[in-house]
Order: sequence, then structure tokens, then C-alpha cells
Amino acid sequence: MSNYSRRDFLAHSAAAGMLAWQADRLLAAGDAAAARPADMAIARWKGPEPKDATDPQLAGIATKLTQQAIDALGGMRRFVKRGDVVWVKPNIGWDRKPEQAGDSNPQVVAALVAMCLEAGAKTVKVGDYTVHAAVKTYETSGIAPAVKTPGGKMVFLDKQRFKETAINGERIKTLLLYPEIIECDLVINAAIVKHHVLSNATLCMKNYMGVMDNRAPFHQDFAACLCDLTRFMKPRLCVLDAVRILKDHGPVGGRMEDVAVKTTVAAGVDIVALDALGLELMGKEPGETRKAASIIKYAEESGLGKANYRGLALKELAVT
Amino acid sequence: MKGWRGTLSGVVARRTVQAAALLLFFGLVLAARRHGDAGPSAWWQGFFLLDPLVLLLTWLAGHAVPAVLWLSLATVALTVLLGRVFCGWFCPLGTIHAIAGRFLDFCWPRRKQPEHWSRWQLAKYYLLFAVLLSAACGVHAGAVLDPLVLLYRTTVAVLLPGVQWALEDGSNVLGLSEPARQLLRERVTEVEHQAFLGSGLILALFVALLALNRWRPRFWCRYLCPLGALLGAAALRPFLRRVARESCNQCELCGLNCQGAAAVTPGGEWLAAECLGCLNCTAACHRGSLGFRLAWPWQAAPACGSGTGLDRSRRRFLSGLRGLAGAAAGGLAGMFLLRATPQSRGSTGSENLVRPPGALAEREFLQRCTACGLCMRICPTGCLQPTLGEAGLEGLWTPRVVPRIGRCEYGCTLCGHACPTGAIAALTIEEKHAVKIGIALIDRSRCIPYAYARDCGTCVEACPFPEKAIRLVDVEVQFHDGRRQRTKVVSQPMVDPDRCTGCGGCVKECTFKDEPAIRVVSANETRTPSVKPFLDMQPKPAGKPPQPAASPPGENPYVG
Repeated sequence: MSNYSRRDFLAHSAAAGMLAWQADRLLAAGDAAAARPADMAIARWKGPEPKDATDPQLAGIATKLTQQAIDALGGMRRFVKRGDVVWVKPNIGWDRKPEQAGDSNPQVVAALVAMCLEAGAKTVKVGDYTVHAAVKTYETSGIAPAVKTPGGKMVFLDKQRFKETAINGERIKTLLLYPEIIECDLVINAAIVKHHVLSNATLCMKNYMGVMDNRAPFHQDFAACLCDLTRFMKPRLCVLDAVRILKDHGPVGGRMEDVAVKTTVAAGVDIVALDALGLELMGKEPGETRKAASIIKYAEESGLGKANYRGLALKELAVT
Repeated sequence: MKGWRGTLSGVVARRTVQAAALLLFFGLVLAARRHGDAGPSAWWQGFFLLDPLVLLLTWLAGHAVPAVLWLSLATVALTVLLGRVFCGWFCPLGTIHAIAGRFLDFCWPRRKQPEHWSRWQLAKYYLLFAVLLSAACGVHAGAVLDPLVLLYRTTVAVLLPGVQWALEDGSNVLGLSEPARQLLRERVTEVEHQAFLGSGLILALFVALLALNRWRPRFWCRYLCPLGALLGAAALRPFLRRVARESCNQCELCGLNCQGAAAVTPGGEWLAAECLGCLNCTAACHRGSLGFRLAWPWQAAPACGSGTGLDRSRRRFLSGLRGLAGAAAGGLAGMFLLRATPQSRGSTGSENLVRPPGALAEREFLQRCTACGLCMRICPTGCLQPTLGEAGLEGLWTPRVVPRIGRCEYGCTLCGHACPTGAIAALTIEEKHAVKIGIALIDRSRCIPYAYARDCGTCVEACPFPEKAIRLVDVEVQFHDGRRQRTKVVSQPMVDPDRCTGCGGCVKECTFKDEPAIRVVSANETRTPSVKPFLDMQPKPAGKPPQPAASPPGENPYVG
């Protein structure tokens, strides 16, 4: 052993180090497919059918679906780091009760808040730039009461504080955005699947319109404007609430005849894929959703995601 | 007999009550807002239920008053017993005048003069007479001068928005904007940046009235206040009256401190109708010569010392009658002149005069509305604004809907439930959805799909009816893209007059933020069938044809 030189020692040590360094990679290669986190998860309720849209069981169902959908993506820790400030952005535009499906499901929002806090988020803020009077809308939507329990913070947006921000999009160069939202470490888009009189459907991409003021000009070219806004918002986690959906007379809604119970929650990192799923869930003839379909097509062509969500790493869960 | 000493405690008690009443008044203003889903509260009307002038004017002009207003007879009973203590102890505007007078004297000191009764103090009685006379002829406009109405309106339209502005913008500077906004949201109003059109005039009147305290303490209460005059008439011979002992040496300390100038001459007759019961005189008297004692109305009030009493000669009486004749002439002339407007003659409706849902027909509405501003306070979107000229001078500061500022909220009926005089009927939500306050009107020279051949539809999106009262119609239009003429399909909005109620949600959200491309005009309002331009084209319900409704004229068309 006397001729085990320093050179040999260094060479062997380096080799051993290399091996050790590569080992877990080599071992992991075996079950790469299983460990690769899903891009999208669809949680469907397969337990006892709820009676109708007013069934109180829907609250518990919504919570379960949301938790399992996020868990299937690899858990909230995949998106939230310790100490993060998170904004959950539901659709809370209209003074409507949860069963009227005018706003995002309160339990979906509350479950997201709870999971963010569990994952170590410092603060979880919830808010939207409401169309109807905010104080009443936050309460009526059920979101303010629901978010209180896990410890989320409802934030009222102040018209004075929107700031002109350069987004340098294709159609939109600057937008009046709400700094408190875009400065968060993570914005979780939690949109409900709803009919919309102008765009046929309002889904995740359109949900981003709650972070801006002076929204009306978007109506002149929804597709390009929504893509510009989405590109700027850099979606990392989107949740599609289809516990109840509004099939017609949206976005205001208000008629119980238009509400359908779908007991589905989807979550994913590809906003276009989620919107495509949302449009499918609306269950309408292609002719009736031409505008929404064209927005999704435009977004796919702009490279924001894939409309064919089945081609993604997809997990479909049957929740009971 | 011992002198009446130690009455300073009376002044302390009075000031305590005054402060409490003032705080209660402002507290009730603050309490008048939407509390979640909780229904309307009788507390909102607070002080108006104690105001016999509002009762009397509304009863004379409108021939009907909500039953709760009869509570104000308690104030009259109190006055018959104790004199004008309402003015001296409770009236929040009186308290503000007292504070303003002292503050002005502090800032710009002046030599105090003994205050004695002046014939000018009769002015308020003449004013009251004129106001009552015109009310009896159906003009309710005098109610804008009721002190509680005046203070309520000023608080709602000027003082609170001023405080709100200071808190909102001041807190931004101090970096406390969120706590300040939370305070405003939870305690003051849910309307952000609330402000009222034409509030400057309301402020100017208020400031002018406060400034007059520099000339005479409590100028408003002594010379102008019609409620004070009404209570003064009830307090000609109250049970509680001031008496002076013979020890009085007419030193005039009482006169120096009297708020109402109730003594005719130094040491002369004390006029119960002018005394505010403030107890300043008894506290000021060094000799303990003054005190209050109970007496029957038929017992004469003892004058103190050798001072003279009121000149009650026939000559004076006749001159008083002449004054009343002048007031009558003024009241009647004022009424005719107020009414001589195109709006009042019914020859035109003001297109900008959209009344809140449930407002009675314009004439009956004006015969009840005091322009107190409670509806403007309670409105959760801030859409109710004081009129300036839209309803004529007779309707000055009465509420109108300005949808550019706020929509009339689909699920809200608060204004009707808050109105103290029933000028706005208390509707159920179903009734409200059936009441049209106007109709949306599209300005095709501005509306984007019509004038600029681009899609928009913001108005359709904002329309609160699930089935929409504005609908999009796809139309093939010609436009020029800079190189050549092209054809494209644009969705143009169209209003359904059967369904549109004129709530103004579309106006509020219209893409044009300066002058909207869609407006609400009063044309189709339910309360004025005579101007209704549209036939009801809704499909006939199956079954029997509807029976003609038999409702006697003058009955509230919204209820029952």
C-alpha cells in the first residue's frame, strides 16, 4: 500500500465522488415516469351524488376535490416556499350566493388558502376587483367567511392604487395593474367555469382580468388582450372550479336553472389546458362557444400552453 | 329665603346632554348604512322621528305621514312642559351653533353685549307661517330649512365626504392607508371616495349660517329656525318658567350670557318662547336671584325688577298682523314662483331627473321629500345625488340617480326603507325588479360597435338581469381599414324597453369614462305613466286576459 500515491488517492476519490453524485440520478432514472410531477390533475367526485346545487354536502366535496387535485400535482410545497406571500385570485365579481355559481366556490378558495399556509406561506391574501360593491360581494359570495377559518386575508382593492405597468404585450403595452397582487411570490388563479355573454365562457385566463382596472377595452380583442395579460402574469398554478358551473346568462347569472353541478376540480400548471377542459365541461355545441374556443386557440398559438390537455402529464382522480 | 345657588351644575348637565345628543346624531348618521344582509332599521330615521316640523309640513303638503312620525308629538309635549329645551339641550344644530359662536368669539374676541329681545326674532315666526302656508298649498320645499334636515344633509353631503377624503388621502401620505380604509369600510361607508354633486352650495349655506353667530350668538336659533318657531309657539306659557327674586339688581350678567335673548329689556319681561332653557342666566347670577319654577299656564310670569314687559298694545298687535300678512304674501308668492318652472308645469320632464326606485309620482314625491339626504347616505353605491336645478328650485337637493357615479343596485331597496316621510316607497325586492326608474339609451355616435365597428358589449355584461335587458345583435357592417373598404360582423347592443329598469349598471361600466355612450333617461319610468313612450310588448301570459287594476288615485302604486 506504500505505493498508493497521493495522485491515486485523488483520482480514486474523484471517481468515488462522481459515482456518489451520479448514483441517485442513475437510480432515479428507473422510475422517472412515476416521479415526474403531473402537469394537471382532474379530481372528479364519485361518491354519493349531491341532490342539487344547494346541497350542503357540496362544501365538503369541494374541499376534498381541491386537496386531492393539488396533492396529485405534488402538493402545495411544489409551488409555495416557506415565507412566501401568496395571492389567491378567485372570481368574486358579482353579488351572488355560492349556489348561484356566479363566483368561485368558497370552499375551493378556502382549501387553497389552508394548503398554502400549511406549505409555509407567510401570508395568503384573497381578493378580486369586484364589479358589484365589494363589501357586500365578498360576504355574499361566501368567500370572505370561508377564508377566515384557515387564516387567509381578504383584501379590498382600492381604485386609487392601480398603477400603470408596462407589460409589452402584442396588443397591450401598458396596463393598470394592482401592485399588491403582482408583487406576490405566487398568484394562484382559482377560476369558476361560467358562461359569459361576450366571450362565451369565462375561465382561468379571463379570471386574470380581476387584477386590472379599465377592463372594458379588452372586449375589442379578447384573444390577444387575454394572452398578453396571461403572459405577463406567468401562471404557475391554476385551479379550475367546476363544482357548480353557470351554463348560461353569465357572467352575472342569478337563475338557478342555469346552474349545473359538475363536482369537478382541476388544477394544473398549463392555463390553456385548464381552459380547454373548462370549455369542455360547459358541455356546449361548438357553435355556441366559438369565441371562447378562438381565445384558447390563440393562446395555444401564442405558446402559452397546450389545448390538448390529454397530452400532458395528466392525473385523473376519482374522489369519494 | 335662600338664594338660588349652585345652578352651575345645571349648565354642566345641559352641556353633557348636548354633547351626548350631538354624538348620538352623528352616531345615527354613521349607523345609517348597509349592515350585511340585516334589514332596514328604524334607528336610521333617528332624530327625524322627534321633529314635529317634518310631521306638520308633510301632513299639510302630502296629507299623509308615516305613523312613526307622530312620535314627534312627544317633542311638542316636552316643550309645552319645559319650554324650548329641545333647542337648548337636544338640537344638534343648536349645539353646533353654540360651539361655533364660542369658537368665533375665541378666535376674534369682541366685547360682550347684553343680549335683549329684538323684533327681528319674530322673523322666524313669519318664516314658519310662510312655510306652513305654502305647505298647506302643497309645497313642501320649506322642509329644506328644518334644522335637523339641514344638519343631516350637510353631514351626509359635505362633512362625511370631507372626513373620508382626509382619511383616504391623508392615510396614503402617512402610510396607514389600509387601516384607514378598513375603518371607513367598516364604520363609515362602503362607497370608496364618496362625494356628492353640488355639495359646495350645501356647504356654503352651512358656513354662512355658522358665520352669522359672530354677529349674534345663535343667530339661526333666534332669528331663522322654523322648528324653533314652531316649538316657541308651543312654549308661550310652559309649565316650567323662570322667575326672579327681588334681590335682582339688574346687573345684566344674565343678559350677557343669554343664548336666546329672551329678556325684553334689562331686567324686563322674560319671554318663554325665546328661552332655550340653557340655564346660563341662573349660573351667571351672582346674587342667586334667578331660578326656574313650575307654574300653571294661566298664571302670569312674574317680571323681575322694574323692567318693562313686551309691548302688547293694539298698535303692536296690528303691526304683528301686518307682518303675518307679509309672510303670507311671501309664502304664497314663493310657492307660485317656485312652481312656475317647466318641470312643475309638467310640460317637460328633465331627462337627468331619474328618481330612486319607489319614488312617488313627482308631485307627491315633492310633497313629502324633505331633502334630508338619508337616502343618499344609505345608498350603498353612492348613486343617489342631490339635485341642483334638475327638479326646479322646489326640488332642490332632493335625490336623483346618477348612474355615472354608481348603479342602482339590483338587490337593494334601502332608500325606500330609510325614507322618513314616505317620499320613496318601501319596496320588496320583487317589486323593485318590476319598477322602472328610467330607460337606457344608446348614443350611437359614441357607442363603440355602432360608431367604430369594434366589439365591446360592456353594457351587456354589466346588465344585472340574468336574461339581460340589453342584448347583442350581430350585424354586418362596412368599415375602412386604411387601405380598402371591408365588411365584418360586429355585435351591437340593443335595449329591451320591456325589461330595462334604468338601473344604470350599463352606464357605470361603459367603456367611455368621460361621457358614457349609454345613458339612462327617465322616459320610461313607472311612476309617470303619462310620459311612457313604450307599449308593453311582453308576450301575453297564457289563460285569462289580465283584469284592469282598480286603484284609486293618490294611492301608492307600488304597494299592494
